[in-house]
Amino acid sequence: MTLILLIAVPLIAALIVLLPAKNIFRVRLLCAVSLFHASVVASFWWRRPGPELQGYFVLDPLGLLLLSILDLLFLATSFFMIGYFEREHRNNRTFTACILCLLSMTTMVSVSYHLGLMWVAIETTTLFSAPLISFHRNWKSLEATWKYLLVCSVGIALALMGTFFLAIAAHETRTLLLPAILNNAPLLSTSWLKLSVIFLFVGYGCKMGLAPMHSWKPEAYGQATGMVSVLMAGGLTQCSFLALMRVSQICHKTGLGDFYGSILIVAGVLSLVVPAVFLLDEKSLKRSFAFSSVEHVGLLVLGLGMGGVGVFGALFHMINNALAKVVMFLTAGSLAQKYGSSRAPEVRGVIHLYPVTGVFLLVALLAGTGMFPFATFHSELLIINASVISEHYVLAGIIIVCLAVIFMGISRLVLDLVYGKPVEPAPAPRENLFMNITIAAAAALLVGLGLWMPAPLSGLLHEAAALIGA
Amino acid sequence: MTPWIDVICILAVFLSLTLLATHRIVGMIKIFAVQSFFLGLVPLFLHGGIIAGRDLAVSLVTMVLKAGLVPAVLFWELRHISMRSEVRPILGLGASILCGAVLIAVAFWISLAMKLPGKLESSLVLPCSLATILLGFMTMVTRTRAVTQVLGYMVIENGIFLFALSLFDTMPVPIEMGILLDIFVAVFVMAIVLNHINEEFERTRSTGRRPRWGES
Repeated sequence: MTLILLIAVPLIAALIVLLPAKNIFRVRLLCAVSLFHASVVASFWWRRPGPELQGYFVLDPLGLLLLSILDLLFLATSFFMIGYFEREHRNNRTFTACILCLLSMTTMVSVSYHLGLMWVAIETTTLFSAPLISFHRNWKSLEATWKYLLVCSVGIALALMGTFFLAIAAHETRTLLLPAILNNAPLLSTSWLKLSVIFLFVGYGCKMGLAPMHSWKPEAYGQATGMVSVLMAGGLTQCSFLALMRVSQICHKTGLGDFYGSILIVAGVLSLVVPAVFLLDEKSLKRSFAFSSVEHVGLLVLGLGMGGVGVFGALFHMINNALAKVVMFLTAGSLAQKYGSSRAPEVRGVIHLYPVTGVFLLVALLAGTGMFPFATFHSELLIINASVISEHYVLAGIIIVCLAVIFMGISRLVLDLVYGKPVEPAPAPRENLFMNITIAAAAALLVGLGLWMPAPLSGLLHEAAALIGA
Repeated sequence: MTPWIDVICILAVFLSLTLLATHRIVGMIKIFAVQSFFLGLVPLFLHGGIIAGRDLAVSLVTMVLKAGLVPAVLFWELRHISMRSEVRPILGLGASILCGAVLIAVAFWISLAMKLPGKLESSLVLPCSLATILLGFMTMVTRTRAVTQVLGYMVIENGIFLFALSLFDTMPVPIEMGILLDIFVAVFVMAIVLNHINEEFERTRSTGRRPRWGES
């Protein structure tokens, strides 16, 4: 019953926050639920729960990895929210309720072993994240919400079609439970499976924001508050990545690994080229971080597509991507709250007015672009290494060039924001302790992982990579 | 009972084409409701006329959600926004019907190449569901109004639903219900967002500070 409890508790808390209460009470309740959730998930590292609900809910190494990442993100955002809502007086009832529902549904994605159920959970995350984007309810944020809803809903509809195609391919097993499909892999109809793989890739790739299905991302991340962008870029995209990894498990068993791998590599390269092109002339910090998110999901699918050490690199990059997004988007959110914007002309000379936020911006630049000693450096190196090992030398060259161009694009903007001539008059709000501690903790964790990988984490990553056949 | 399923499949395509060629939004919602009602009947004809409790449950939930609540939500939305017809469709009536006919032909042609491993109740299920999905996409991309885009999305969902019925026994009932509920909630959330957009439009129209749609 532990897994069901993990899904149910945030839902019950979401009902409680709908009752009349003060903003700060709701945020504290969210913190308490996140802490409870994280502590239960931490206990799974010692003893994993067995299958529940007739095998529909199973926590395997891939699920545990995602669940742990999600807990880090929800803990970080809920603590950041304490500081954020000291200044923001807009009613946060719907906001906190939707975040709690997101926690519940992302947990369901992590543990669901039925591909239909997984689809239901991922679609529900789209619906609960949409109201979060339009929290400020101005014209631009509503437009971004509409684009996100429409593009992702149509994408997810294609994933549903793919799920049904998979059901046809697996007509002998008459179920979409993952173990049944994997155990009867030779019985699957190859042509239907190929069709299903394409639809599932396009559908979940759309939700993940892979190029060329990324059009909603700069709008949504550009308009959402920093906390929401963290949950979307670090959590929701990786939930869809879990779905792509489940497809990879099936393809590996049925001998379609190369077919699926080539699709992933093409999408991965496109997702590196597109941000490299757009970032060179981007003025908004949040939008440039959104393009950086397209780059990072591109690296994830590249690693998965190349197999071998690339899969290990991609799994490691999942953690690093999430932590980097915490540093990047929370800093952008903190900046936007201070200046009322995150665009270059309105924000300049941050280091002179807000030295801590200025330093965080520089840290976000280094963490997001994969500089040493941040762990993103190691995982990106592992993915490049995988392309060299698999003799994709041109691909390795493209990755390196794109990463260099992206670094130039983001550093140009960030350095302008940090060291440019300060804007006058000085904005009013001061630095907030809760917000700064959250960002610093995520950055410290990212540096820590860059210098030393604990044995249990390494073991889990190897175990998870073995599931995908690496 | 196959003839009835055949009839419903053809009706689904016919209604999608009619919806594509309709300009009045109220009419479009009504056509969608009728299409959903007919699709809701399909589970009742699936097992040679023997109606199990599961068939009845899926049929009833489909009709209540898709033919009842979704149109109700869209009508509610329409009452809040001062707009009744698609003002500037990208394609005219004749061109829409022509493109729709081509898409139907494409759907039938594609389905010829798709050999289903199992047995289907009707050979029309696959081509008709594909045609409905394509016509839904067509409605979505040729219409400029947000409400008509939602309707296009719902027609795509109806096409997928028709296809899913051929796999009726693979999906457990709670997951079928989950899918249906998700689709309903999607329309509900879209309607709320549309309502907020409309409120913002009304507010900014008086002050004249509204940026153009698409301007970042």
